[in-house]
Amino acid sequence: MGWVDYVWMGILAVFNGPELFSVFGLPIPVTIIMVFAGFLTGVAVGATPGLAGPMAMAISLPILISVFGFTVDALLPVMGFLIGIMKGATIGGAVPAILFNTPGTPDAFMTTLDGHPMAQRGEADKALRVAHFSSVAGDTFSDLVLILCAPFLAVIVERYLDLPEKTALLVLSLAFVAAVIGKSVGKGLISLGLGLLVAYIGTGEDFYPRLSFDTQLLARGLPVVSVVLGVLILGEVFASLEDLWHQSRHGTRDRPVAQVTRQKLTGADIRKLMPFIGRSAIIGTIIGALPGIGSTLAATLGYTSGRARHARKGGSPAFGQGAPEGIAATEAANSAVSGANLIPVLSLGIPGNAAAVFLILAADSIGGFNPGPSVFRFSAEAVNPELVIAFGLFTTMMLANLMNWTIGGAFMRSMGFMSRIPQHILMPIVLLVTLTSIYVQETRMAAIWFTIGFGVLGYLMRRFGISPLPFVIAFILGGSLESSARQAFAATGGDPWFLFSSVTAALFMALAVLVTVLSLRKPKGART
Amino acid sequence: MDLHGRTHLVLGLALLAFALFTIFVWVPMDSATGLLEQVRRRVVIGDALAPTIAASFIALGSLLLIFEQGDLACGMTSRNILYLAAFLGILISSILVMLWLGPMLAALLTDEGYRVLRDTAPWKHIGFVVGGTAMVGGLISYIEGHLSIRSFLIGLGSALALVAVYDLPFDDLLLPPNGDV
Repeated sequence: MGWVDYVWMGILAVFNGPELFSVFGLPIPVTIIMVFAGFLTGVAVGATPGLAGPMAMAISLPILISVFGFTVDALLPVMGFLIGIMKGATIGGAVPAILFNTPGTPDAFMTTLDGHPMAQRGEADKALRVAHFSSVAGDTFSDLVLILCAPFLAVIVERYLDLPEKTALLVLSLAFVAAVIGKSVGKGLISLGLGLLVAYIGTGEDFYPRLSFDTQLLARGLPVVSVVLGVLILGEVFASLEDLWHQSRHGTRDRPVAQVTRQKLTGADIRKLMPFIGRSAIIGTIIGALPGIGSTLAATLGYTSGRARHARKGGSPAFGQGAPEGIAATEAANSAVSGANLIPVLSLGIPGNAAAVFLILAADSIGGFNPGPSVFRFSAEAVNPELVIAFGLFTTMMLANLMNWTIGGAFMRSMGFMSRIPQHILMPIVLLVTLTSIYVQETRMAAIWFTIGFGVLGYLMRRFGISPLPFVIAFILGGSLESSARQAFAATGGDPWFLFSSVTAALFMALAVLVTVLSLRKPKGART
Repeated sequence: MDLHGRTHLVLGLALLAFALFTIFVWVPMDSATGLLEQVRRRVVIGDALAPTIAASFIALGSLLLIFEQGDLACGMTSRNILYLAAFLGILISSILVMLWLGPMLAALLTDEGYRVLRDTAPWKHIGFVVGGTAMVGGLISYIEGHLSIRSFLIGLGSALALVAVYDLPFDDLLLPPNGDV
């Protein structure tokens, strides 16, 4: 079995997978339909202010697992759907930003700066086309980088990193996430520590499950889905509803104004936009490959870099006054994050953002695929099924890109009405759907109470300016960090300095300290 | 010290106290093995080490927080507490309705009791539909500042849609509270 065989098997796993139905005798594989459904859902969700890709992924995951079950055959349809949502949401976020000056997703904020002025000039259709083209171009570029880089990075990790180095790499990733997310290193560390602590409740190697207060309730550990969805989704619902509650009492809700004209992008337009798209796609891909740094920073950096170039060239209109280049610079950067974000997930097993957390959660829940360097363990004698799944995932990403290039633009432009759905109606429905999905998966009320408890924690974290993302990433990685450290400690014969036993491990640890110290010295405005 | 600086100080001190309690009381008393253990003449990492390190991160973060400048957009006011209490009140009441309505009605109206009926319509849907309607309708009404039939109809529609998604196509999936009662 060579590499080409694995790639081909991955493609076949998507196109020759279980059939959902047939059209004129032609079987339609379930994975393709799921990618398509996820993509359409993602565009609709992205176009709805208050809902974002990760929220839709969170809600749909338990439903998908209920539908497809816990077999290996479920991996590609379920993860294909989630990838479809991820890709669709990146283009959908620009719709309300341009039409109504309200970003559908946080990373589309910079799109409002030029998109809405264009809409006010009667060029909404052109602005949407620019956003779509730039977004899909950035996303496709980022996916190609992922497909080329992830396998090689994983092979390097497997070949050159031993247990102490892998443990040190996990420590470095967590330190990076804690240091760069949010406005304070202190808060990042608190979020990280809480996530790790929660991960260790009801676990351990002894017969007695540690930190369980000797209760059956905690002895099995906390349900992963309750902790992640509680902190990420319920916390967000609690906080958003409170903002709406305050707004309804002060009458500050914005009234949207729609404008539509029909203006196609010409070849000259595209040539003018390409330098901005290219530069932002590279910025977004680099940012996306680093765990913890979100698409909002990528959008800001892409926009800032594009603005400097535009000003140097004396372009008109200027950024902020309805320049299509401003939309292109923002959308290419924030969309380029989505593919690159999967580089640390697939090659190292380290989730870098909320969307990646749900992909890992899907893989964990279903089983048969453990994102990390072992996925890319190439074996010529026996088939490595995880490698086939990995190439299947790359195929679903390319399929979603194809859908994005072909029907994405028209579908995105038809989604303007989603911005009019009132958030205060949407959020309680999201809450009911989330709680029901969790119950269906866990089948015990305790899971609901845990979810609400972690929802309150997520709400408090948001109110105190503590980002919940380090918490969730630490919670997900807590188990692997401990088991990797235990194995490394045992393998080095109980050496207490095992994290500094080799040059690479010591370098990772030094970088972990350096990134934390440098973040402490950084001015507040410069943080993400 | 301004209000936001004080928020950081109070939050930092509270979390520091929690971290110290975890390191010195909770972890040692609630873990079967210590930081390091001797097993068959080999030293291995015990169950207490990982949570102790986790709590140390919280302690370190709290200390940094105490000495950091306050963030203008953070903190809890009485309005936040009022909102959260009312929100949780509606949420928890509707879940209790979801949990107990079916068993109560079954106890009142039948001889078998809910446990026998929990897999038959309409018993298996009663608690979920009424509780779900109350949750969505109650929360929408709370945000709008007045009760309205429309908000409860939206709640009813959402609950019925979830019954259609989970219960009608799948025999083996249980809606709340049918896995517990």
